[in-house]
Amino acid sequence: MNAFAIALDSIWRHRLRSVLTALGVVIGVFAVVTLTSLGASVRSYVQGQFAHVGATIVTVSPANPGSGAKKHPRFAGAPGGAPSTLTLADAQAIAAAPHAPIQRVSAVADIPLTVGTTPGASSGVALSGVQAPFFKIEQIPFLHGRFDGSGVVLGYGAAHTLFPHVANAMGRSVYVGTHAFTVVGLLKKGSGIAALQSNREVFLPIGTGLKLAGLSTVAEIVVQANSTQNVGAAATAINRVMTARHPSKNFSITKESQLLSTVTSTVSTITTFLAGLAAISLLVGGIGIMNIMLVTVTERFREIGIRKAMGARDGDILVQFVAESVLLALLGGAVGVGLSAIASSIVAHLAGFPGGLTVSAVVLALVFSILVGGVFGVLPAMRAARLMPVDALRTE
Amino acid sequence: MSQVQPAASSAPVISATRLTKIYGQGEVQVTALDGVSLEIPRGQMVALMGPSGSGKSTLMQVLGLLDRPTAGTYLLNGQDLSRVSSRTMAELRGRRIAFVFQSIHLLPRLSALHNVELPMVYARVPAAERRQRATDALNRVGVGALVHRMPNQLSGGQAQRVAIARAVAPGPDLLLADEPTGALDRASGREVLGVFQDLNQSMGLTIVMVTHDPLVGRHAERIIEMEDGRFIRDYAVSGSERLWAHQEVSA
Repeated sequence: MNAFAIALDSIWRHRLRSVLTALGVVIGVFAVVTLTSLGASVRSYVQGQFAHVGATIVTVSPANPGSGAKKHPRFAGAPGGAPSTLTLADAQAIAAAPHAPIQRVSAVADIPLTVGTTPGASSGVALSGVQAPFFKIEQIPFLHGRFDGSGVVLGYGAAHTLFPHVANAMGRSVYVGTHAFTVVGLLKKGSGIAALQSNREVFLPIGTGLKLAGLSTVAEIVVQANSTQNVGAAATAINRVMTARHPSKNFSITKESQLLSTVTSTVSTITTFLAGLAAISLLVGGIGIMNIMLVTVTERFREIGIRKAMGARDGDILVQFVAESVLLALLGGAVGVGLSAIASSIVAHLAGFPGGLTVSAVVLALVFSILVGGVFGVLPAMRAARLMPVDALRTE
Repeated sequence: MSQVQPAASSAPVISATRLTKIYGQGEVQVTALDGVSLEIPRGQMVALMGPSGSGKSTLMQVLGLLDRPTAGTYLLNGQDLSRVSSRTMAELRGRRIAFVFQSIHLLPRLSALHNVELPMVYARVPAAERRQRATDALNRVGVGALVHRMPNQLSGGQAQRVAIARAVAPGPDLLLADEPTGALDRASGREVLGVFQDLNQSMGLTIVMVTHDPLVGRHAERIIEMEDGRFIRDYAVSGSERLWAHQEVSA
């Protein structure tokens, strides 16, 4: 007998109409909740990836002198960039910097030579020259063996490409150009953005690699600070060492944390923008509710008249009809949240990151749909409440 | 409710002076009530008669606080209701003033019992008391066995009795009935008039009913005849003229 019981009864009586009316809100809430939840999932996934790799990494990469451009070496890649003037000696100098909060240093070079299981064959697998600390810095664990400077280490994917039917490729031979190397280490399959590349690579000692390829410069130098708090101090120390060695400043220093904040804020901006667009459909849903509520009020003039003759105050009638539109919007919102839970878990599953709805998105969407129902229900409800009982009863 | 004091028992239930109701504006103005004055003492059963368009229904709506008069004063139990807020009007409707309509007007989605409880819901009567009073009222008008029926499962006479129970359950000072037998067959109409006479005699309920049927009118103790928004006759029904519904049934 209370306002919500009356509202439920009325909604149930006009089931098809109620479903169609609520559909606008269902779609609006679904879009808002799904987009914000997926945005949050992507953001926390990215953050998790960086936390895994370690926000302690500082990368030194080549740059045009004085350009000062901050490049993201992992994504902006060296090809087409400034010609490298970084050398192994630079890496040694950084490692030897006095009192710097630096834990590990490794130079990294792309070695433009073919890799295969027979002399001169090409398997399409990339070859990198690195130093032993590289695997600790990038947190790629070994499945077998270790990087001892004598042979090559295979990434998980590269091992399967080179030796598709071999369970354990330890001790086998790999040809870099025409030079044979023994496999002395196998890497575990890494997960996440950073590991995608190392999975597909073959690693050999950087000195050997540079010599074979006839190179004297390296692509980048990766440095690990001894703690996340000291990343800034490490970057400063590296800058001091490097400026002394390269007065023209033809290098750039990038902290992983900068990259993290850039990606995170980009994802946030896109999420907010999309959710804003989705909110417009919620607005349209609200207008649909108002439309139907105006029809409902007209249809129920007689009921309103009877209720007013029986002592219902204007406020009682107002509450009754606002309750109906709020309930309609809330039911739509609840269905929308349900659909969105299904959709975002499916998307998350397919994309391979943790899914689930964010509580804040659900609460926000439900509060918003109550608001939509309330705001767009008030006008029709006021029309009902202000009817004079005689006028309402005259409609037969 | 604060503007309305408890009833002064000596005052007439209705005391109206020069009530006027004008519909429309300018050229199309219609004077439905042309300055009628009226006094109805407590416990009287009055029939308001006249052809359609005579203003009897308009007077009923004004007396029932369903509509406001254009001019004039209206006292219910000595309290002036001419200038009260629409909220106060709403609070008096269904509590101090109850209605029975020609088209019965039960809410189709509610059971007989819930229909009877409706005015008390709006009066914020506690649920247990509400249920008790509704059940009592339904028993008194002889439909106590039909409490859980829906309106579409009731005959016209039964439905109108439920509507009467709905009107009297809150204990009103005044019962207004607009053509209460108009939609019913003769036998059902007589039953309804019997219920009115019973409520009037046993509880002292003041009843004003509108009718165009002289036979129905003779069930009241006083008849007011209207034409063109004015009273043209106002007389008591003599003892020998008066009809008693229960005797007609037995006769």
